[in-house]
Amino acid sequence: MLGSTNKIGKYYVYSSTLISAFVVFLIFIILLLNSWEAISTIGLDLISLSWNPAKGEFGIISMLYGTFVVTFIALVIAIPLGTFTAIFTSEILASKYRFVVKSVLELLAGIPSIIYGLIGIAFLSIWFQDLFDLQSGRTLFTAGILLSVMILPTIITLTDDAFHNIPEKYRETAKGLGLYNSEIIKEVLMPIARADVKSAILLAFGRALGETMAVMLVVGSIDKLPSPLLNWLSPGQTVTSKLGREIAETSFRSVHFSAMIFMGLVLFSIVLFLTVLAQNSSKKTERLYE
Amino acid sequence: MNRQLKNKLFTYATWIAVILSTTILFFLFGVILWNGLPAIDFNFLSQASSNFGASGGIIYQIAGSVLMVLFSALICLPVAIGTAIFKSEYVISKKLHAIINTLIYSLNGIPSVIFGIFGLILFVNILGMGISWIVGSIILAMMILPTVTLSTYHSINSIPTVYRESSLSLGLTKWQVIRKVLLPQGFSGAVTGLLIGVARAIGETAPIMFIATAFSGVAFPNSFSEPVSTLPTHILALAQQATNPDALQNAWGSSLVLVTLVVLFSISALCFRLKHQTISKR
Repeated sequence: MLGSTNKIGKYYVYSSTLISAFVVFLIFIILLLNSWEAISTIGLDLISLSWNPAKGEFGIISMLYGTFVVTFIALVIAIPLGTFTAIFTSEILASKYRFVVKSVLELLAGIPSIIYGLIGIAFLSIWFQDLFDLQSGRTLFTAGILLSVMILPTIITLTDDAFHNIPEKYRETAKGLGLYNSEIIKEVLMPIARADVKSAILLAFGRALGETMAVMLVVGSIDKLPSPLLNWLSPGQTVTSKLGREIAETSFRSVHFSAMIFMGLVLFSIVLFLTVLAQNSSKKTERLYE
Repeated sequence: MNRQLKNKLFTYATWIAVILSTTILFFLFGVILWNGLPAIDFNFLSQASSNFGASGGIIYQIAGSVLMVLFSALICLPVAIGTAIFKSEYVISKKLHAIINTLIYSLNGIPSVIFGIFGLILFVNILGMGISWIVGSIILAMMILPTVTLSTYHSINSIPTVYRESSLSLGLTKWQVIRKVLLPQGFSGAVTGLLIGVARAIGETAPIMFIATAFSGVAFPNSFSEPVSTLPTHILALAQQATNPDALQNAWGSSLVLVTLVVLFSISALCFRLKHQTISKR
């Protein structure tokens, strides 16, 4: 009797692990199978500029371009802002306020993305419309700015951890050598924290690529490359906003549907790659300093 | 440029960054409160929505959201606990451990819209379950699985080996050790993880918007296979008619209610974690 409950318990544990492990593969397989039709019938034309389902043209370049522009803008703003703020919370702010700062950041990270989207629609896009005298304030640039605000808490809180985990003796030694605060941070702490900061940035990168709701509401949703190419104050489209807007209106098993799933597969692969990279990057430093 | 000047410049840069970040933060909370509070009164919280959300309240949206995350927690819990026990008690090889870790972190990193299209293909179309709230619950359960698993794992794994060894030497089988000694501890970790997960799940829009929700004319569901209306999708629908000031007003009200729910779940997670510190601390 005892042995049998032991066995049942073992089966339960094994099967739930299998389920957890299976989910990632299942998602990948489902995406691959359903994008197969597009890959086989359209082939290399998937990597072209024009997206026009009526003519059977399914080029995903302009969506990929939009995704990377939006993410690029977000990272260019959020990385310096986030890193400097994290340096402040970890190195300058007295540690008794740390709990408060951490909690507030957690709250900020918990605001649902749809609410960021609402703020983007109600304020940001209208501001930019007036500021740059545009026809519509829903542009790649607006989406990038909104996204930078969204990934800011992630970068701050992870970078803050990276700095905070460095033992105090490094700072004391450096101070004893007569270094200024900025020199301690740049020459002593930054090299130690670098791997963790890198993984924080990679995670934020992944999150920015996959963000849907806020981007979808403010990006403008036009499947074209801006002309000229660097005119980011014009409406565009990202992979996620395209999926969010169109997938429900596309009939299952059509080439159109399949091409959309292919886009999802590309996004999935990129984000997965970044996640694994981020995980490996932080793992190496686990026991670096003790 | 001398060292002192550099140091000063660096300090100024830090301060500018902090002031900017703080301004953004206060702006966000301020906007949500400032616009949300005027929309909220007793009627708003207790009536059904009417006129495409422009008037009436959000009672069914709140109910739909809560129902969906509640079931996602129920679906997620057994799988998460099992996986956590496996990861903590059954895995010996380092390599397998690393593989499981990679899988869990990968699942955590998958963009939410991908979960949405996955659910649309598998559950709605292939399995023919239709647009129903239970599909949404299953998908949300998958999304919060990593959070709950890791939280449970950490609380089980932090129990000192002495506990396992002494109970094994008393003649308990491995499963009895797990059930009587480790699980009571691990459970608090699981609940903390669930609360954090639910706080995230309740705000998600992208994974549920094409598989589980309908916008108008939805009341409390009578069966598993009906769509519901939820707070995030309600906000989405209202935000798209942003030219109508009444709709926008209700969107802000719904946002404030949603943020309040998220904050409630997060705070209870925090309290729970502080209350149930694991025994290893002693």
